[in-house]
Amino acid sequence: MTQLALQHYLAVGGILFVIGLIGFITRRNLIVIFLCTELMFQGVAINLIAFGRYHYNDLGGQAFTIYLLVIAAAEASLALGLVVLLFRQKNTLDADAWRELKG
Amino acid sequence: MAEDLANAARFCFEPLLAAAAPDAAPALSPVLILILAVAAGIGTFMLLPSKREATIRKLGGVVLLAAGLILAASLIHYVAGLNQHQMSLYFWIFSAIAILSAVRVVTHPRPVYSALYFVLTVLASAGLFVLLWAEFMAIALIMIYAGAILVTYVFVIMLASQASNPATGAERAMNANPLAECDQISREPLVASAIGFTMMGVLLFVIFDRATGGPMDLAARPATQPTTQPIAAAPGTIQQPEIQLTEVRTTVSVPDSGTVMGMPATIITTQPARVSTQAPFTPGSPQAIGTYLFRNQLVNLELAGLILTIAMVGAILIARRQVVLPAGALAAAEAKLTGGDLVNDNPHSIPIYGTHDPQAKAYPES
Repeated sequence: MTQLALQHYLAVGGILFVIGLIGFITRRNLIVIFLCTELMFQGVAINLIAFGRYHYNDLGGQAFTIYLLVIAAAEASLALGLVVLLFRQKNTLDADAWRELKG
Repeated sequence: MAEDLANAARFCFEPLLAAAAPDAAPALSPVLILILAVAAGIGTFMLLPSKREATIRKLGGVVLLAAGLILAASLIHYVAGLNQHQMSLYFWIFSAIAILSAVRVVTHPRPVYSALYFVLTVLASAGLFVLLWAEFMAIALIMIYAGAILVTYVFVIMLASQASNPATGAERAMNANPLAECDQISREPLVASAIGFTMMGVLLFVIFDRATGGPMDLAARPATQPTTQPIAAAPGTIQQPEIQLTEVRTTVSVPDSGTVMGMPATIITTQPARVSTQAPFTPGSPQAIGTYLFRNQLVNLELAGLILTIAMVGAILIARRQVVLPAGALAAAEAKLTGGDLVNDNPHSIPIYGTHDPQAKAYPES
């Protein structure tokens, strides 16, 4: 079946992570910012599963991916709750509307 | 446990050792990685949403696509140059879909389209999971991400963007692009592209420079060592529970003939320590993952459930609607709800449905 090296999967995971990072920095819509964190989670998940597969088919990678899904779900629910709360205050999704939080 | 640690240590240090070998050529030259990262950074900078013209954004997309294609082509050329005939075509397809749609997630100005492109990324990485023998995780990823989390995102997007564009019909007709200002202009695209693609270049450099001679060199190594090749074990032999035979020595003291040739009589029985009726598992199956989780990581699993529960309670608390109604609004709402009329529960006053006369009774009193 697959005879690819581990490095290919690591490269894909790294590229996904970096794209998510760029989006996290540049986008100003609160919802898209959290979508970009989910993108970074995807890159990490690919890395974890690839490491598990290439290390004696260890199931630890998949187990940690389960934890990652749990954390992603918790993060999404809390973040979306916060987004709804912030949206009610200012009636906009612009992250720059909360500029006074910079301190 | 000690053996696991030793394996982990070998796995960590082996790339370093292999990189120290003189004939280890990097898979991608650092100059190529540098050029590709710079090109991709420029392309992303041009592609990010801003007030530039559409042609410039398309040009940035072309530059970014070209950089990605050059990277993929050089990787394919590298793998093909090693007489690698069993190249996995699906890996390239899935990773291309994942990366392209990830770029669109970041660069698309409309949040709903970003969410839909993110679904595409999730599906493609689920395909990559299947290639990595993680079938259960692929299905779980699709169900949880594409099914649950993304639906929540789309709900919130619709909830928020419905009210954030209070433009009337005439304004919408005038402005053909009813996007919010925060979606049109991105923040610090140059700095972010520079930081991001510097990080990507360093990551790719480390990954491919530390790469040992290539997949074929590693395949020649003995399979007992941890390599960067997939362990070519057939499905069904992994995680198979071993039935361990233990000797249970029972010393029976017999009063009269207590010794057999001067030795205490010892009855040696051999019985299975743990009778296992489990079928052999493939490594990505739910049985294998469940057995692994509940045998090795039970506390972690319970903690994960606890985190999820706490997050759910917290989300409900955070997003609880606190509506401050003006005085009298509640009574008005109730009056609107009940139609301003008390319900008459006299059975003789039940109106006949289907007639236009609300005073016609089903059971006339006469």
